[in-house]
Amino acid sequence: MKATDELVMLQVPASAEYVDLVRVTLYGIAAKMGFSYEEIEDMKVAVSEACNNAVLHAYGNLPSGTTASAPEQAPRMEVRFIKKRDALSIVVKDEGQSFDALAVARQKSPMRGKSVDELHAGGLGLYLMQALMDQVEVHSDAGTEVILTKRLVRSEDTA
Amino acid sequence: MKQPEKFQLRTETREGRCIVYVSGELDLEVATQMRAAMAPLVELRDRELSLNLRDLKYIDSTGIGILVSVLKARNASQAPFSVEAIPPGIRKLFDMTGITPFLTGQKQEQ
Repeated sequence: MKATDELVMLQVPASAEYVDLVRVTLYGIAAKMGFSYEEIEDMKVAVSEACNNAVLHAYGNLPSGTTASAPEQAPRMEVRFIKKRDALSIVVKDEGQSFDALAVARQKSPMRGKSVDELHAGGLGLYLMQALMDQVEVHSDAGTEVILTKRLVRSEDTA
Repeated sequence: MKQPEKFQLRTETREGRCIVYVSGELDLEVATQMRAAMAPLVELRDRELSLNLRDLKYIDSTGIGILVSVLKARNASQAPFSVEAIPPGIRKLFDMTGITPFLTGQKQEQ
Protein backbone atom coordinates (compact mmCIF):
# COMPACT_ATOMS: atom_id res chain seq x y z
CA MET A 1 0.00 0.00 0.00
CA LYS A 2 1.16 3.52 -0.78
CA ALA A 3 0.91 6.35 1.70
CA THR A 4 -1.82 7.94 -0.39
CA ASP A 5 -3.93 4.78 -0.43
CA GLU A 6 -6.91 4.66 1.88
CA LEU A 7 -7.95 1.54 3.69
CA VAL A 8 -11.37 0.36 4.82
CA MET A 9 -11.34 -2.92 6.66
CA LEU A 10 -14.15 -5.27 7.54
CA GLN A 11 -13.83 -8.38 9.62
CA VAL A 12 -16.86 -10.66 9.72
CA PRO A 13 -17.63 -14.26 10.60
CA ALA A 14 -16.79 -16.55 7.66
CA SER A 15 -20.46 -17.27 7.16
CA ALA A 16 -22.73 -16.96 4.12
CA GLU A 17 -25.09 -14.61 5.91
CA TYR A 18 -22.40 -11.91 6.05
CA VAL A 19 -21.52 -11.90 2.37
CA ASP A 20 -24.30 -9.46 1.56
CA LEU A 21 -22.87 -7.08 4.16
CA VAL A 22 -19.59 -7.16 2.25
CA ARG A 23 -21.52 -6.42 -0.96
CA VAL A 24 -23.28 -3.44 0.60
CA THR A 25 -19.95 -2.07 1.89
CA LEU A 26 -18.36 -2.53 -1.51
CA TYR A 27 -21.26 -0.72 -3.13
CA GLY A 28 -20.80 2.27 -0.84
CA ILE A 29 -17.06 2.55 -1.39
CA ALA A 30 -17.13 1.97 -5.15
CA ALA A 31 -19.99 4.42 -5.70
CA LYS A 32 -18.12 7.09 -3.74
CA MET A 33 -15.05 6.54 -5.90
CA GLY A 34 -17.06 7.11 -9.06
CA PHE A 35 -17.31 3.62 -10.54
CA SER A 36 -20.22 3.08 -12.91
CA TYR A 37 -23.25 1.02 -12.01
CA GLU A 38 -22.10 -1.79 -14.27
CA GLU A 39 -18.58 -1.82 -12.86
CA ILE A 40 -20.00 -1.97 -9.35
CA GLU A 41 -22.26 -4.87 -10.30
CA ASP A 42 -19.25 -6.71 -11.74
CA MET A 43 -17.23 -6.11 -8.58
CA LYS A 44 -20.12 -7.23 -6.39
CA VAL A 45 -20.18 -10.61 -8.10
CA ALA A 46 -16.39 -11.01 -7.97
CA VAL A 47 -16.06 -10.01 -4.32
CA SER A 48 -18.96 -12.26 -3.33
CA GLU A 49 -17.27 -15.18 -5.05
CA ALA A 50 -14.08 -14.53 -3.10
CA CYS A 51 -16.11 -14.40 0.13
CA ASN A 52 -17.96 -17.59 -0.82
CA ASN A 53 -14.60 -19.31 -1.12
CA ALA A 54 -13.64 -18.06 2.33
CA VAL A 55 -16.91 -19.35 3.77
CA LEU A 56 -16.52 -22.72 2.07
CA HIS A 57 -12.94 -22.97 3.34
CA ALA A 58 -14.15 -22.36 6.84
CA TYR A 59 -16.93 -24.91 6.76
CA GLY A 60 -16.99 -26.81 3.54
CA ASN A 61 -13.77 -28.72 3.17
CA LEU A 62 -14.45 -31.45 5.66
CA PRO A 63 -14.56 -35.05 4.53
CA SER A 64 -18.16 -36.15 4.15
CA GLY A 65 -19.61 -37.88 7.16
CA THR A 66 -17.44 -35.99 9.63
CA THR A 67 -18.26 -32.89 11.58
CA ALA A 68 -15.94 -30.20 12.72
CA SER A 69 -14.99 -30.13 16.33
CA ALA A 70 -15.97 -26.75 17.66
CA PRO A 71 -13.11 -24.35 16.99
CA GLU A 72 -11.99 -22.12 19.81
CA GLN A 73 -13.01 -19.17 17.79
CA ALA A 74 -15.59 -19.04 15.01
CA PRO A 75 -13.83 -18.79 11.62
CA ARG A 76 -13.54 -15.26 10.33
CA MET A 77 -12.80 -13.57 7.07
CA GLU A 78 -11.19 -10.24 6.60
CA VAL A 79 -12.03 -7.93 3.72
CA ARG A 80 -9.76 -4.96 3.02
CA PHE A 81 -10.88 -2.32 0.56
CA ILE A 82 -7.83 -0.39 -0.65
CA LYS A 83 -8.76 2.87 -2.35
CA LYS A 84 -6.00 3.88 -4.71
CA ARG A 85 -5.83 6.97 -6.87
CA ASP A 86 -6.80 5.06 -9.98
CA ALA A 87 -8.08 1.70 -8.77
CA LEU A 88 -9.89 -0.21 -6.07
CA SER A 89 -8.35 -3.38 -4.69
CA ILE A 90 -10.35 -5.72 -2.52
CA VAL A 91 -8.42 -8.26 -0.47
CA VAL A 92 -10.38 -11.20 0.91
CA LYS A 93 -8.45 -13.25 3.42
CA ASP A 94 -9.47 -16.40 5.21
CA GLU A 95 -7.83 -18.78 7.59
CA GLY A 96 -8.71 -21.91 5.68
CA GLN A 97 -7.02 -24.19 3.22
CA SER A 98 -6.03 -23.08 -0.22
CA PHE A 99 -8.15 -23.96 -3.18
CA ASP A 100 -6.63 -25.23 -6.36
CA ALA A 101 -6.44 -21.90 -8.12
CA LEU A 102 -4.26 -23.04 -10.96
CA ALA A 103 -6.39 -25.99 -11.94
CA VAL A 104 -9.39 -23.72 -12.07
CA ALA A 105 -7.67 -20.87 -13.86
CA ARG A 106 -6.81 -23.12 -16.77
CA GLN A 107 -10.46 -23.34 -17.72
CA LYS A 108 -11.86 -21.04 -20.31
CA SER A 109 -15.55 -20.28 -20.32
CA PRO A 110 -16.48 -23.38 -18.34
CA MET A 111 -19.70 -24.41 -20.01
CA ARG A 112 -19.19 -23.54 -23.64
CA GLY A 113 -19.40 -26.21 -26.28
CA LYS A 114 -20.31 -29.04 -23.97
CA SER A 115 -23.25 -31.37 -23.75
CA VAL A 116 -25.60 -31.12 -20.79
CA ASP A 117 -24.10 -34.26 -19.24
CA GLU A 118 -20.65 -32.71 -19.26
CA LEU A 119 -21.66 -29.49 -17.53
CA HIS A 120 -20.36 -28.87 -14.07
CA ALA A 121 -20.33 -25.77 -11.95
CA GLY A 122 -16.99 -26.33 -10.23
CA GLY A 123 -14.53 -23.50 -10.67
CA LEU A 124 -17.19 -21.04 -11.75
CA GLY A 125 -16.42 -18.68 -8.87
CA LEU A 126 -12.80 -18.07 -9.77
CA TYR A 127 -13.69 -17.97 -13.44
CA LEU A 128 -16.17 -15.16 -12.80
CA MET A 129 -13.67 -13.24 -10.65
CA GLN A 130 -11.17 -13.31 -13.50
CA ALA A 131 -13.76 -12.37 -16.09
CA LEU A 132 -15.13 -9.45 -14.09
CA MET A 133 -12.03 -7.84 -12.59
CA ASP A 134 -8.94 -6.33 -14.21
CA GLN A 135 -6.59 -8.34 -12.01
CA VAL A 136 -6.95 -11.37 -9.72
CA GLU A 137 -4.18 -12.67 -7.50
CA VAL A 138 -4.45 -15.68 -5.22
CA HIS A 139 -1.93 -16.11 -2.41
CA SER A 140 -1.94 -19.20 -0.27
CA ASP A 141 0.20 -19.22 2.79
CA ALA A 142 -1.39 -19.25 6.19
CA GLY A 143 -4.91 -19.23 4.81
CA THR A 144 -5.87 -17.94 1.42
CA GLU A 145 -5.78 -14.37 0.22
CA VAL A 146 -7.54 -13.25 -2.93
CA ILE A 147 -6.72 -9.79 -4.28
CA LEU A 148 -9.18 -8.34 -6.76
CA THR A 149 -8.42 -5.08 -8.57
CA LYS A 150 -10.60 -2.88 -10.75
CA ARG A 151 -9.14 0.17 -12.43
CA LEU A 152 -11.02 3.42 -12.26
CA VAL A 153 -11.36 5.16 -15.60
CA ARG A 154 -12.68 8.61 -14.83
CA SER A 155 -14.67 10.35 -17.50
CA GLU A 156 -12.51 13.50 -17.24
CA ASP A 157 -9.44 11.39 -18.06
CA THR A 158 -10.91 10.22 -21.31
CA ALA A 159 -12.49 13.54 -22.30
CA MET B 1 -28.36 2.85 -0.22
CA LYS B 2 -30.82 0.16 -1.18
CA GLN B 3 -31.25 -2.80 1.11
CA PRO B 4 -30.56 -6.15 -0.55
CA GLU B 5 -33.87 -7.77 -1.43
CA LYS B 6 -34.70 -10.93 0.37
CA PHE B 7 -34.71 -14.17 -1.58
CA GLN B 8 -38.18 -15.48 -2.33
CA LEU B 9 -39.70 -18.37 -4.28
CA ARG B 10 -43.25 -18.55 -5.53
CA THR B 11 -44.59 -21.51 -7.50
CA GLU B 12 -47.49 -21.33 -9.89
CA THR B 13 -48.98 -24.29 -11.73
CA ARG B 14 -51.18 -23.79 -14.76
CA GLU B 15 -51.95 -25.73 -17.92
CA GLY B 16 -49.45 -28.45 -17.17
CA ARG B 17 -46.65 -25.95 -16.55
CA CYS B 18 -44.98 -25.34 -13.27
CA ILE B 19 -43.51 -21.85 -13.10
CA VAL B 20 -41.17 -20.92 -10.26
CA TYR B 21 -40.72 -17.19 -9.71
CA VAL B 22 -37.36 -16.55 -8.09
CA SER B 23 -36.78 -13.09 -6.65
CA GLY B 24 -34.15 -11.28 -4.60
CA GLU B 25 -30.64 -12.62 -4.26
CA LEU B 26 -29.88 -16.24 -5.10
CA ASP B 27 -26.55 -16.85 -3.42
CA LEU B 28 -24.68 -19.19 -1.09
CA GLU B 29 -26.78 -18.08 1.87
CA VAL B 30 -30.04 -19.38 0.36
CA ALA B 31 -28.61 -22.26 -1.68
CA THR B 32 -29.92 -24.96 0.68
CA GLN B 33 -33.39 -23.43 0.66
CA MET B 34 -33.40 -23.20 -3.14
CA ARG B 35 -32.20 -26.79 -3.60
CA ALA B 36 -34.83 -28.07 -1.18
CA ALA B 37 -37.60 -26.15 -2.93
CA MET B 38 -36.56 -27.36 -6.38
CA ALA B 39 -36.03 -31.04 -5.51
CA PRO B 40 -39.70 -32.16 -5.61
CA LEU B 41 -40.45 -30.01 -8.68
CA VAL B 42 -37.58 -31.52 -10.63
CA GLU B 43 -39.19 -34.95 -10.09
CA LEU B 44 -42.46 -33.96 -11.81
CA ARG B 45 -41.51 -35.26 -15.22
CA ASP B 46 -44.87 -34.93 -16.92
CA ARG B 47 -44.93 -31.19 -16.32
CA GLU B 48 -42.92 -28.48 -17.96
CA LEU B 49 -40.73 -26.76 -15.39
CA SER B 50 -39.93 -23.13 -15.89
CA LEU B 51 -37.92 -20.69 -13.79
CA ASN B 52 -38.98 -17.07 -14.12
CA LEU B 53 -36.11 -14.76 -13.13
CA ARG B 54 -37.87 -11.44 -13.77
CA ASP B 55 -37.37 -10.25 -10.18
CA LEU B 56 -34.01 -11.88 -9.54
CA LYS B 57 -31.56 -9.16 -8.50
CA TYR B 58 -28.41 -11.15 -8.03
CA ILE B 59 -27.01 -14.61 -8.62
CA ASP B 60 -23.63 -16.08 -7.74
CA SER B 61 -21.79 -19.22 -8.84
CA THR B 62 -23.67 -21.24 -6.22
CA GLY B 63 -26.97 -20.16 -7.77
CA ILE B 64 -25.73 -20.92 -11.27
CA GLY B 65 -24.60 -24.31 -9.95
CA ILE B 66 -28.15 -25.04 -8.80
CA LEU B 67 -29.48 -24.18 -12.26
CA VAL B 68 -26.91 -26.55 -13.75
CA SER B 69 -27.99 -29.40 -11.49
CA VAL B 70 -31.69 -28.83 -12.27
CA LEU B 71 -30.86 -28.70 -15.96
CA LYS B 72 -28.93 -31.97 -15.78
CA ALA B 73 -31.63 -33.75 -13.79
CA ARG B 74 -34.35 -32.65 -16.18
CA ASN B 75 -32.23 -33.57 -19.16
CA ALA B 76 -31.52 -37.03 -17.73
CA SER B 77 -35.24 -37.73 -17.33
CA GLN B 78 -36.05 -36.06 -20.66
CA ALA B 79 -38.39 -33.63 -18.94
CA PRO B 80 -38.85 -30.10 -20.26
CA PHE B 81 -37.08 -27.25 -18.45
CA SER B 82 -36.60 -23.64 -19.34
CA VAL B 83 -35.54 -20.35 -17.82
CA GLU B 84 -37.42 -17.21 -18.77
CA ALA B 85 -37.35 -13.44 -18.25
CA ILE B 86 -33.61 -13.28 -17.53
CA PRO B 87 -32.66 -9.72 -16.46
CA PRO B 88 -29.74 -8.18 -18.43
CA GLY B 89 -27.26 -8.17 -15.51
CA ILE B 90 -27.87 -11.85 -14.85
CA ARG B 91 -27.89 -12.69 -18.54
CA LYS B 92 -24.40 -11.20 -18.73
CA LEU B 93 -23.15 -13.72 -16.15
CA PHE B 94 -24.93 -16.60 -17.90
CA ASP B 95 -23.30 -15.57 -21.18
CA MET B 96 -19.86 -15.39 -19.54
CA THR B 97 -20.13 -18.89 -18.17
CA GLY B 98 -21.55 -20.24 -21.41
CA ILE B 99 -24.72 -21.62 -19.82
CA THR B 100 -27.20 -19.39 -21.69
CA PRO B 101 -27.90 -21.70 -24.66
CA PHE B 102 -28.69 -24.58 -22.28
CA LEU B 103 -31.17 -22.48 -20.33
CA THR B 104 -32.95 -20.78 -23.16
CA GLY B 105 -33.12 -23.79 -25.47
CA GLN B 106 -31.11 -22.10 -28.22
CA LYS B 107 -29.11 -24.53 -30.24
CA GLN B 108 -25.39 -24.20 -29.66
CA GLU B 109 -23.09 -23.38 -32.49
CA GLN B 110 -20.78 -26.28 -33.06
